[in-house]
Amino acid sequence: MLVVDIVLTGLIIGGMYALTALGLTLQYGVARIMNLSYGEFLVAAALSTFSLYVGLAVNPLVGLLIVVPVAFALNWLIFELLLVPLVRRAKNRDVLEVDSILATFGLLFVIQGVALVIFGGQYFSYSYLSIPVSVLGSALAVNRLVALGFAAAIGIGIYLALTRTRAGTAIRAVAVDPVAAQLVAIDVRRASAFAYALGGALVATGGVLISMFLTFHASMGVEFTMKALIVVIMGGVGNMLGALVAGLLLGVGETAVARLLDPGLTLAATYVLFLAVLLVRPTGLFGRSTR
Amino acid sequence: MSRWWVGPSLVGVVVVVLALVPLVANNYYLALGVSLLYFAALATSWALFSGSTHYISLATVALFGIGAYTVGVIGEVLPWPLVLLVAGLIGVTLSLIVGLSTLRLSGIYFVIFSFGLSELIRQLVTWYEVNIHKSVGRYIFIDINQTQIYWQLLALTALVLFAGWLIGRSRLGLALRVIGEDEVVARHAGIDTTKAKLVMFAISSLFMTLTGAVMAPRWTYIDPAIAFNPMLSFEVVIMALFGGAGTLIGPILGVVPFVLLFEFLSANFPNYFSILLGLVFMVIVYALPHGVIGFVQKRLPRATPPPVEPQAVPLKTAGAPLEVVGLRKTFGGLVAVDNVSFDVAPGQIVGLIGPNGSGKTTVLNLISGALPSDAGMVRCDGEAITGIGAHHIARLGVARTFQLVRVLETLTAVENVAVGLTFRRRPLHGAEAEAVARGLLARIGLADKADQTAGQFTYIDQKRLELARALALEPRVLLLDEWLAGLTRSELNEGIALIRSLREAGLTIILVEHVMDAIRSLCDRCIVMNAGVKIADGPPAAVLADHEVLRAYLGDANA
Repeated sequence: MLVVDIVLTGLIIGGMYALTALGLTLQYGVARIMNLSYGEFLVAAALSTFSLYVGLAVNPLVGLLIVVPVAFALNWLIFELLLVPLVRRAKNRDVLEVDSILATFGLLFVIQGVALVIFGGQYFSYSYLSIPVSVLGSALAVNRLVALGFAAAIGIGIYLALTRTRAGTAIRAVAVDPVAAQLVAIDVRRASAFAYALGGALVATGGVLISMFLTFHASMGVEFTMKALIVVIMGGVGNMLGALVAGLLLGVGETAVARLLDPGLTLAATYVLFLAVLLVRPTGLFGRSTR
Repeated sequence: MSRWWVGPSLVGVVVVVLALVPLVANNYYLALGVSLLYFAALATSWALFSGSTHYISLATVALFGIGAYTVGVIGEVLPWPLVLLVAGLIGVTLSLIVGLSTLRLSGIYFVIFSFGLSELIRQLVTWYEVNIHKSVGRYIFIDINQTQIYWQLLALTALVLFAGWLIGRSRLGLALRVIGEDEVVARHAGIDTTKAKLVMFAISSLFMTLTGAVMAPRWTYIDPAIAFNPMLSFEVVIMALFGGAGTLIGPILGVVPFVLLFEFLSANFPNYFSILLGLVFMVIVYALPHGVIGFVQKRLPRATPPPVEPQAVPLKTAGAPLEVVGLRKTFGGLVAVDNVSFDVAPGQIVGLIGPNGSGKTTVLNLISGALPSDAGMVRCDGEAITGIGAHHIARLGVARTFQLVRVLETLTAVENVAVGLTFRRRPLHGAEAEAVARGLLARIGLADKADQTAGQFTYIDQKRLELARALALEPRVLLLDEWLAGLTRSELNEGIALIRSLREAGLTIILVEHVMDAIRSLCDRCIVMNAGVKIADGPPAAVLADHEVLRAYLGDANA
């Protein structure tokens, strides 16, 4: 069943895109940092999981419990040490966007360079739970289903936390208007740091889950950054449901093009889709229209 | 006497000296020279567009790669000058298509779009080569040696600099600076922003494509990964920003240290190249936010231009009648302006008043073209001006000020006013514009601050400056949006006297205002709006006593 195959495979990879995009939308939408080194953290998490599993025989799902908190702490530090000075100095949002693009672009090279020195340029993969099961007549590895399950659970958890809790409401308030948020006694800097670190934790989660079923290498971070960006912009900046729909759409679209047309055109198809959305609706599929 | 020729002659001398380098340099230094020049050409071209408009483009490599690939495909078929011509045409065509579709995107969207575009073109070329051409790479066997490449690049760089110098002194250059500063002001000062951006993007793209074409023979073998390496776009951006993208020569100051650094790092620390590059990159962002040029300029005394004698400006403009018929505007479900009609006779001052949120500013925005109207018509001097674009409306003589004052902060007062003069129907440019600008500044009481940048001005002076910029358009109708708000008592009296003198000059004026003293002493007539609807129209005294007006302002109980 080709159609079922495409839809299932597409939904799984699309779920990963949606999860990573959720992290980016927190970093960009709340902390106002356009993070070009975003995908590097995904690759770093994947490489760490690989080392833990192959070197120390730590189960990737247990690895999740090690890698994700470390990523959270590391991203908090990066925000406080590297990005707060830029936030302080920026006169307005546009200046901060350009400055953060440039600074995180430098960071991209540093992380990628370190990864290349430690791991070299070769491809990595490991075999964990690669037992085939049949779903609706199409064969899928268990690791993919586990990854999808975790992504869905974490995504729903974050969504509920942001919409139902006090801290979540504060974060969403900062996303809408950082100045007005201060007026109602929200500590904007702390909320931003928390959102940024949470974004870093989410992309690390994505890295751990993706490493269970995809082949990866040290310099493929940019590709994930671009895809997360595409999903965020397609879904509308700051719109979590938009990111989910756009992520799934991208996953299924990509898989369909790879299976039906030509695997070489996958990325091209992604960009065509993305550019088309930008032209028709610059604020994204579900973004609010600006006056 | 201005010494405009000093800069160009210095550059000319440097170019001649550099042209002699291949006669003495060995191959290593010649190769280094080629690297320096090709980045110089790219970074300068990039800054021509992005430096002034602040639209950060990552499409550099798309154009560069197209230039290189054109040579790969037709380089051996056609004579060299024709190859360059074709490459240039392709580059310009592509830039026009991209420009027309994307230049309305701003900020981050434009950045990401331009990056996505480069990747898309790379993917398409790769696919074409693999599936249609049946081989990923192409060999380029063209008889052009390194010395010739060097000379061609030098000529191209000189050409880019010369073009940039000409543009900087032209109306286009001023238009782009204003766009970079505030695009809304640009449109209301009569600048066709779309055209200005498009023309500059095309010129900048042409030079980038030519650089790619000239560089192609150096490789002998190209594939999409070489020609469309996305790193190139970023390197060009960082070099230009490091040097200072707002000036013509700035980007080159960034190119030289960076190319030397690349060279040093890749020769001595090949394994740590990317780590060190990233660190240097970050140090620059933190330590030199305004580039080398900004760093130098801050420490050098600013050269003061010789003063131009202000020219007395008689405000002899005749006002035009304005006619508003059935104007309507909705935002989602909210009807902000509902079927509003009125006439203003030439030389009349009409006050547009009403409670907050009653749609007054929206009416001004519809008249001046800042917003498209959903229905209705505006005629100025009998000519329909609805839907013709804000810059056309400004050129026809409908000038405005903004509720939240908008001056061009990094430009001097003279330049702010000169913007209005340069893009109006009877344009003035250069020394003549400067003299008239000084005259206008003198008229509104800013003569002694003419050479300060507008960002340093106090609130009242910024308001004055904004008015001077509007008057520079030679308006026939003037729209003032709460121009008197927030002034002290004595400033208010000065302001009222100023507006009265404009009426005596014959101008038609519509003012949105809350200051009742000003309305009583200035207005011939008042139009009152409430909840998007016109509820009264007549002489101020009669209107202010009207029962419905009182109810709109004070509520039912007090009326």
